[in-house]
Amino acid sequence: MENKWGKLKATNEDREKIWKKNRTFAGDVWFRFRHKPTALAGLIIIALLMFFAVFGPNFTDYSYSKQNLDVVNVPPRMRVYETADGEAYLYITQNMKLLEVSKDGHLGSQLEKVREDSGRYMTIFDYKGTEVALYYGQKPYLVADPETLVIYPHTTVWNHSYLLGTDSLGRDILTRLMYGTRVSLVVAFVAVAVNLIIGIAYGGISGYAGGNADQVMMRIVDIISTIPLTLYVILIMVLLGSGLKSIIIALGTVYWVDMARVVRGQVLSLKQQDFVLAARTIGSPTKTILFQHLVPNCMGSILVTATMLIPSAIFMEAFLGFLGIGLRPPLASLGTMCNDATENLRTCPYQLFFPALVIVLIMFAFNFVGDGLRDALDPKLKK
Amino acid sequence: MTENKNISAGTPLLEVKDLTRYFDAGYKMQVHAVDHISFKLQKGRTLGLVGESGCGKSSAARTIIRIYEPTQGQIIFMGTDISHMNQKMLKPYRKNMQMIFQDPYASLNARMTVRDIIAEPLLAHGIVRRKEEANEYVYPMLEKVGLTTEHANRYAHEFSGGQRQRVGIARALILHPQLVICDEPISALDVSIQAQVINLLRDFQEEEGTTYLFIAHDLSMVRYVSDEVGVMYLGQIVEMGVSDDIYQHPAHPYTQGLLSSIPIANPKLAREKEGGGIKGDIPSPINPPAGCRFHTRCPYAKPICAEQTPQMKDIGGGHLCACHLMD
Repeated sequence: MENKWGKLKATNEDREKIWKKNRTFAGDVWFRFRHKPTALAGLIIIALLMFFAVFGPNFTDYSYSKQNLDVVNVPPRMRVYETADGEAYLYITQNMKLLEVSKDGHLGSQLEKVREDSGRYMTIFDYKGTEVALYYGQKPYLVADPETLVIYPHTTVWNHSYLLGTDSLGRDILTRLMYGTRVSLVVAFVAVAVNLIIGIAYGGISGYAGGNADQVMMRIVDIISTIPLTLYVILIMVLLGSGLKSIIIALGTVYWVDMARVVRGQVLSLKQQDFVLAARTIGSPTKTILFQHLVPNCMGSILVTATMLIPSAIFMEAFLGFLGIGLRPPLASLGTMCNDATENLRTCPYQLFFPALVIVLIMFAFNFVGDGLRDALDPKLKK
Repeated sequence: MTENKNISAGTPLLEVKDLTRYFDAGYKMQVHAVDHISFKLQKGRTLGLVGESGCGKSSAARTIIRIYEPTQGQIIFMGTDISHMNQKMLKPYRKNMQMIFQDPYASLNARMTVRDIIAEPLLAHGIVRRKEEANEYVYPMLEKVGLTTEHANRYAHEFSGGQRQRVGIARALILHPQLVICDEPISALDVSIQAQVINLLRDFQEEEGTTYLFIAHDLSMVRYVSDEVGVMYLGQIVEMGVSDDIYQHPAHPYTQGLLSSIPIANPKLAREKEGGGIKGDIPSPINPPAGCRFHTRCPYAKPICAEQTPQMKDIGGGHLCACHLMD
């Protein structure tokens, strides 16, 4: 249309035309969400972590429980000594053994011990017929030729068999991380599902009913929220035994209270709005008013609360795991992995670093997504 | 508009007797929002309720349509007392009694399309079972209120205020109700749109014989739409009658003050009329003045006004007024 200022006929289609681009509410939210870099980054991280947790175990040769006591506490980057023939490296394990490492960083088997020469602080091993000595007279321990006492040249290589190293039982940390992330995400989604179902229904009914019903229902919520969660989880574990099931039940029965409060507050203010009064004058049933008018209009706060509760649920699970009342070994969760790592924190800090890093990533990602959703769902910030 | 027709002739569609609604204001205090109001409304006619902000017009409307529980009194609609029915028993009456709200931005659910909004009454009263079947009712209604069928899939926030109000009107009228309560339906709209909406409502009245209870504070507009006018002050109706009567011969000092406060476009005339309007502020409805509620601001107040509550009296031709000056 060239002349926008000309008079239109009453029958003209453009008479009541809305010139704005037709975008649904969800489309609007997505538009604002993807224009916030942190939120988008968070979403991508979550997607990657989910991929890592769900499909990751298909790509590793190890399982979360498979132990290999030959390769206990091997770090991702190893200090190794080159053998005399120059075909392999030797790595000194923590329990004073020599481990053959190929040139490209794959771990081989332990060398056979020939004899102990305690007078010279040496342990002699056999490498392809030649004798090599592990000298433990002073730190750092060295690998040398027992005859000539020439120290083998040392270098560092990346561990290609166990990319993130092994733990104190010789299990692959990468594989355990996958399973740990899986547990964390399961906990997160169960917490969210319970939140959405119980929290919305409870809060919605409480807010809409109002009066005495509201008072009683909210006092119940108060009572539930005053029970310390750790104590509560321990009690449930006494009852059901420790494990993922108990954690999920514990989080599920308690974590909806925040959601119930939020929804109730929203419903309380929304139910005085004209569109709800209009629905009542129309004669719509309570079910329609609650689930077509009230709950969809609380969806913003509900989504934000849910995404903010996810990191808190994940952290709670990790915390319980760290305290040792989480999953039962050998099952891995990020918390139990941190707990295991604290035993040899000084010698193997990487064992703590990786699970902690994943926890941090998950928390950041969900918090960013929550922030982004909150901003995107606020129509006042509409551009 | 019929002249001087006796208001009480025939069986009224809506009769309100001594309707009272108090709100708890805490500390055992009560807001006397609606205080013993009575009126009758004949089928096919329009009653305008006017008054200052906070005089209880909207509370009266919401009590009549039973969003608020009446504290006392009776609401007789289509010959049945609906004032103490529960929501389930009310449902068949709701079909015949709809409401148009003041703020078209707040009265439409932002998460529903226009079709779903207009179809809601149809679904609620079982006229259609599923949303898809509602189109045959919704589309003609959209055309009637001056929207097009392509608007049906839009969300309310995409419309202008006037368009939204027309959606609200479509929702109220889709069940062809006998009584429509219009709670300041145009006060949130631009002046250019106001006439559009008012004429739309009048067209419906002509076509279907709809009865309106019209609440407004725009006096000139009320005169245009109403057959009868009731003037409210602090929760009570102080004067009531055929609208031309009220506008030409206001009897109650409050009505006189209210009418003289209508702005006049001609500055010469306006200067001559200076001193009109009502002095002072509206008293608190928590502790309304004893006797005549208007005596604190009335230029003609006598000692008796502070002591006795004046009763509604016919001062001729069905023109009712509650004032001691009429004795």
